[in-house]
Amino acid sequence: MPSYPSATPAGTLPGSVPQLDVAGELLALLRDSTTEPRPDDQLEALTLAVAADLPVLLWGEPGIGKTAALTQLATALDLPLTTVIASVHEPSDFSGLPVIGDDPAEQGIPMAPPDWAVRLVRAGRGLLFLDELSTAPPAVQAALLRVVLERRIGALTLPPGVRVVAAANPRSSAADGWELSPPLANRFVHLQWTHDHDVVVRGLGGTWPRATPPRLDPAKLPGAVAFARRAVCGLLTARPALVHRLPGSETRRGGAWPSPRSWEATIALIAFATAAGSSREVLSQLVRGTVGDGAGLELLASMDRMDLPDPETLLADPEGAELPERGDLRQAALDGVVAAVRARPDRARWDAAWALLVHALRTGAPDLVVVPATTLAALRQDDWDVPAAVEQLAGAVALSRTADRAAARAAAGAGR
Amino acid sequence: MTAPVTGDAAGALDLDKLLAARLYAVRARPYLATALFALHPVASRRVPTMAVDRHWRCYASPLFVDRTPVEDLAGVWVHEVSHLLRDHHGRSDRYARGPGAFGPAERLRMNIAADCEINDDVFGDGLERPGGAVLPGDLGLGPGELMEDYLRQFRLGPVTEHLAWLDCGSGADGAERDWDLGPDGAHGLSAQERDAVRFRVAQGITGRPGTGSRQWRRWAEEAFHPPQPWRDLLGAALRSAASASGAGEDYTYGRPSRRSAAVPGAVLPALRRRPPRVTVVVDTSASVGDTELGSALLEIAAISRAVGGRRDLVGVISCDAAAGVVHPLCRAEGIPLTGGGGTDLRSGFARALAARPGPDVVVVLTDGQTPWPDRRPPCRTVVGLFPRPYPVAGWDEDDPDAVPDPPPAWARVVEIGTPSGGR
Repeated sequence: MPSYPSATPAGTLPGSVPQLDVAGELLALLRDSTTEPRPDDQLEALTLAVAADLPVLLWGEPGIGKTAALTQLATALDLPLTTVIASVHEPSDFSGLPVIGDDPAEQGIPMAPPDWAVRLVRAGRGLLFLDELSTAPPAVQAALLRVVLERRIGALTLPPGVRVVAAANPRSSAADGWELSPPLANRFVHLQWTHDHDVVVRGLGGTWPRATPPRLDPAKLPGAVAFARRAVCGLLTARPALVHRLPGSETRRGGAWPSPRSWEATIALIAFATAAGSSREVLSQLVRGTVGDGAGLELLASMDRMDLPDPETLLADPEGAELPERGDLRQAALDGVVAAVRARPDRARWDAAWALLVHALRTGAPDLVVVPATTLAALRQDDWDVPAAVEQLAGAVALSRTADRAAARAAAGAGR
Repeated sequence: MTAPVTGDAAGALDLDKLLAARLYAVRARPYLATALFALHPVASRRVPTMAVDRHWRCYASPLFVDRTPVEDLAGVWVHEVSHLLRDHHGRSDRYARGPGAFGPAERLRMNIAADCEINDDVFGDGLERPGGAVLPGDLGLGPGELMEDYLRQFRLGPVTEHLAWLDCGSGADGAERDWDLGPDGAHGLSAQERDAVRFRVAQGITGRPGTGSRQWRRWAEEAFHPPQPWRDLLGAALRSAASASGAGEDYTYGRPSRRSAAVPGAVLPALRRRPPRVTVVVDTSASVGDTELGSALLEIAAISRAVGGRRDLVGVISCDAAAGVVHPLCRAEGIPLTGGGGTDLRSGFARALAARPGPDVVVVLTDGQTPWPDRRPPCRTVVGLFPRPYPVAGWDEDDPDAVPDPPPAWARVVEIGTPSGGR
């Protein structure tokens, strides 16, 4: 008959340390991870939007690391983090619990706020994270949106030092489909939260990324505001239809769309991104999350053109001109110069444009020069001699002839 | 490639010839100019012909450039830029559910499928099809489909043996090549720049009617708003209609809250669940196919059960010119879908709304070749629309140009049966 060690307490083997202590040791080892600096566009976009005091809505599948990101953000902004899981609360937790006093008819019924709200207001600063917005019942969501948009909880008003971020699951994976109505969607900066495969694998291996938060440069502030206003106003002047456009199709429902309100938010975000020296990737996430993909991409495309060198500067110093490296931008710059000559044609400007084309041919792909050169040649007036510089464009002319000959061959082949 | 090898092919890359071909391609396809000029050419001896990576670099073999005529090279340029514009690397990764999830053979299959999607419509009209370009017909497949559709239809085998050399690079199938310069290499485009270029091209195509083939127009329309899988969309529309306030779960003062005891004297609302009633109106006119109806109906039954509608709360009406009676879903797995003539959905709506108690949500499955009610019905309406590119059934021989009315603005419309691959 086997004998069991009955004298030792449960969970402990004779002569060894208690099992829970060993487990604790193992847990400590598992939690032991290091961090490494790594640029993180998502987190930078989130930080800038929160710094700009705009309501942010993170869209992401459950378990993707939204909460971890918020923890990082709180550290970066040095704010205490308060997380509220929306789906386990009732509307009265956000709109306030009615407390009946001695004479309700005389004194009214005050709406008492929950303890976390009182603590937040008392602290005067903090990061309020409203998680699982999409799994809460509609009435809770309605109460929560008041918190996000009006910053009121019961009778309390959140102080300006408190920033609010909400998170939701995408419509396709939400257990019960909740979606934002267009007016609500318009007030948020929508950020898509995705995981980076490499980061996750490396993190599970023991090294998580540590994002360095963007720093606003005080010297850049006035320029950033001017730039942001110029970018948005420039686009909206040329494209008045973009000022206000309700989302039409089912696919775009619940997302960002352009309106005067969201354009105003866009100006703020461009200014913040510019002052922080953020990359175009970050700006792209912010802009598309505020006015939607269509209008956002148009804005980014028009900002690309704002970055092109000014045609008049190029004409003033064609030899020392710095042209963009990227082919499509370089051709856009050259086209701009030819258009400037066409707008105000005179001999000196025409010659300068030829010199610029020669310069472009020397420093980049020759096929980009062909179309601007053809257009420029057509601008010649009778008393203008062909400048000597044109000789140097022979390469581009030969290239164009090769293409012509191939086209003729292809046409002959097709006619056979 | 079939072109004869001319001269000494061991030299450096003939960049002028390559760029002349690009100029040719731009002249033949002006709407692709931005994309073609944004590609950065790189000479590489390890590339079999020409290949692209996902950072918009175009690798060209000096030997290949040397022995290929300019007009064929132009075709290759357009072919390669099409891989990038149509996001074939991203779609391959999504198909494989992640980068590197499949071996070289599967990636070759993706490359072939992507080539099939491109080659059947980009050539012609001033642009030569390069010799050796694979067409869907070569694999016994029909033209005009998407890469994802082709992928389901063929395997590597004797038919594709001669294509084993085919390699359009990581831009086509998502698998890194050893010649790739990587994200940090010279002159790569960042994700935002790539989006901007694709956007400019799409805008050029949609902004100028008459440019581009039908496929390119479709690409341009969907480039930044890919059609979502209709099952998800229909589910979301139905769930949101069924769980919005007034239906389903919400707060009610009809019964006291469990917290009422803590706040004496105050009346707090309690959470109550009222399962939504869903009535499905099925267009059984001759223009709607049985398989379409079957799949959509199954989907709706599953969704409405998932949102808490008991089966007896889901009713189905089959409707052609006259509406049938409401069949509760619980009575029969197979609902008799009678009909087959023309459609008048107005009678279907009337029948659905006449039921007592009335439905919370009306779901209409139709091809849209029907008159719609003038006024918004007093409940939420979801329309599952079977897309019809040309009015077939609603065609009126007295008025061949008649186009049926689109679904009204008050209904939420989900197109059913659009490709789920996503571009």
